[in-house]
Amino acid sequence: MAAQAGADVVTAASAAAGAAVADATSAASQVVHTGFALVVDRIDYIIMVPLVYVSILALLAGIIWRIAVIMRSPPPPYPLRLYPAARRPGLAALGDTFAMPQVRKHKPLFWVFLMIYHVAFVLLILGHLDILPHVSLLPPDSRHMLGAGGVGIAVTLPLIYFLMRRLRSPQRDISVFSDYLLLLLLLFLFLFGDMMSWGNSWSPHGFVMSKQDFAKYFDDLARFTFADPRAVLPGSHYHFAVIHVLLAEVFFIVLPFSKIIHTFFSVPVNMLRRR
Amino acid sequence: MEAATTQKLEQLFQARLHSAMRLYLDSCARCGVCVEACHAYASMPQARYTAVGRAEVIRRIFKKYFKLEGKIAPWLGEVLPMDDATMDLVSDAAWSCTGCRRCMTFCPFGIDTQLIMSIAKGLLIGADKEPKLLTMLSDMSVAKGEGIEETRPAFTQAIQDLSAEIRALWPYAGDPVVTVEAEGADVLYVALAGKHSIIPAAAIMNAAGERWTLSVYEAVNFAAFLGDSKKMQVIARRIHDEAVRLKVKEVAIVECGTAFRVMKYMTGPHPFKVVAFVELISRYLREGRIRLRKDSLKGTLTYHDPCQIARNGGVIEEPRHVIGHLTADFVELRPNRAENWCCGGGGGLVALGEQDFRMKSSKVKAEQMKASQAAIITTACENCHSQLTDLNQHYGLGMKVEFLSKLVADALVK
Repeated sequence: MAAQAGADVVTAASAAAGAAVADATSAASQVVHTGFALVVDRIDYIIMVPLVYVSILALLAGIIWRIAVIMRSPPPPYPLRLYPAARRPGLAALGDTFAMPQVRKHKPLFWVFLMIYHVAFVLLILGHLDILPHVSLLPPDSRHMLGAGGVGIAVTLPLIYFLMRRLRSPQRDISVFSDYLLLLLLLFLFLFGDMMSWGNSWSPHGFVMSKQDFAKYFDDLARFTFADPRAVLPGSHYHFAVIHVLLAEVFFIVLPFSKIIHTFFSVPVNMLRRR
Repeated sequence: MEAATTQKLEQLFQARLHSAMRLYLDSCARCGVCVEACHAYASMPQARYTAVGRAEVIRRIFKKYFKLEGKIAPWLGEVLPMDDATMDLVSDAAWSCTGCRRCMTFCPFGIDTQLIMSIAKGLLIGADKEPKLLTMLSDMSVAKGEGIEETRPAFTQAIQDLSAEIRALWPYAGDPVVTVEAEGADVLYVALAGKHSIIPAAAIMNAAGERWTLSVYEAVNFAAFLGDSKKMQVIARRIHDEAVRLKVKEVAIVECGTAFRVMKYMTGPHPFKVVAFVELISRYLREGRIRLRKDSLKGTLTYHDPCQIARNGGVIEEPRHVIGHLTADFVELRPNRAENWCCGGGGGLVALGEQDFRMKSSKVKAEQMKASQAAIITTACENCHSQLTDLNQHYGLGMKVEFLSKLVADALVK
């Protein structure tokens, strides 16, 4: 009985807090900004809506173009395989790509971080897809994203390791400026993502922005409503969301023209030594 | 460097941008897993002696001339222009790489640094900065082929003069002991210039009752070391044409890794089979056509897998099969087979001399040889044999270095 009463009190308090946040958000969204605040609003909007479409288009066009350049190039003049030959070259190339046995053998600690990072990255993509309307990997009423913030941590920690590793010789000696820039881009992208998926639940009243709020934003994007996301993403964490989205857009635009293109080239390049 | 030269080099670079090359140049994450793969780095830990360090020289030129990044933000990838200073870096990269492809077994993408170095070597030829000794050797090789009609009688006579030495190893052969370019033979054996590459092989094939004949051409392909693909094709083509003219079923390549890989994989296709000579020996043993004395060797034997025959040619277990018939006292080098350390003499380095670099960059190889505690090290490649002999002497290892074919010929049961 006492426990039930306690739960009722918590629920009531939570509901009250939620209502307070909603009221504050509603009030905030109804404020008419002028001057510098108006400029910031405009920039936020451009980042959160039109630039999302532009960056995704750039990503797709870039990848298609890069693949087309490879496919239009003449084939190598002779086979490049290594021996002993694999019985099933295709399977061996897939194994090389997804299990990275070479790294496991020669750099086991690096391999552990690489595997955590890549598996978590796939989960990260799934987690973002889960926000889309009509995609339900988690129960629709779940306030958490896939992994409840754990996925974000699982990409962030390896990235810190990759950065630290690259600062030491011999990796430092073979690195170029863009290697560090890419790592920093991803690191900050993930850190702001962590704020969205995890950190924003640390407020005294629970989630500032929940998965349902992000779902409304994604729904608007998917339906091309061009609505201002400020109306559906409440609270002061909105600017973190804007920065997260901006970094994601930079990542999308850069991906086809950077070494991250290995995402798409790993299987064909591994086929060369197996075929 | 003049603008016209730069333009010419850009075109040379462009001509080598096939799909595999683009994949190799675009995919590297500079993760550094390949760093410890190179014997040169393991012996002299400097970034320029890593696979990625060498490839980066070419990759930075690639970015400068063929990538958007190089045009709008060259500082991102630290691009390199094609000038004299860069050509020095290119030369350093190209001629410190033996093309052993051990780094490919480490790389999570399997990037072929030897292939990337083919751009480096092509650029050096275009800039007239290639090692002139290799150019001379390649040109001599081409010229010798062109003038073969004039040298054929003297060559045939010189071969007949080897009869006594061949009979000393296998006395039961008919007459002549060696035929040169005989039509109707099953096997065309392509040797090197020295008689050491003919006498043991002739004795073994005679002992096996093989219907074989000797090519008038040398198997060695200096143009492959040089990175001149046109001359490489010319040198390989005449062996191809000879084999077709003689209607042989097989071409057996002397113990020379590069000659074998060039003939089997880098030229062709051929209407005949190409085998490394050690494969032929293994087959004779399997078929019971030759027998070997198992007590002919004094001391522990070890085997060095030549890169171009083993990990790049697929001939890995055949030498071990042959050795199993030679001795029970055999020990493997560690690592071995596809992961064996390169001897450090490939890619034309032995031909170029480069004694100081070869010895320093192959310290790890000498340590590997020493750790085996073997008395004899055998191999199936001319370059490797020369390099192992030099290492043995330089590091005072006290081993005997032998061709596998010689050990087999000496152990033939008569």
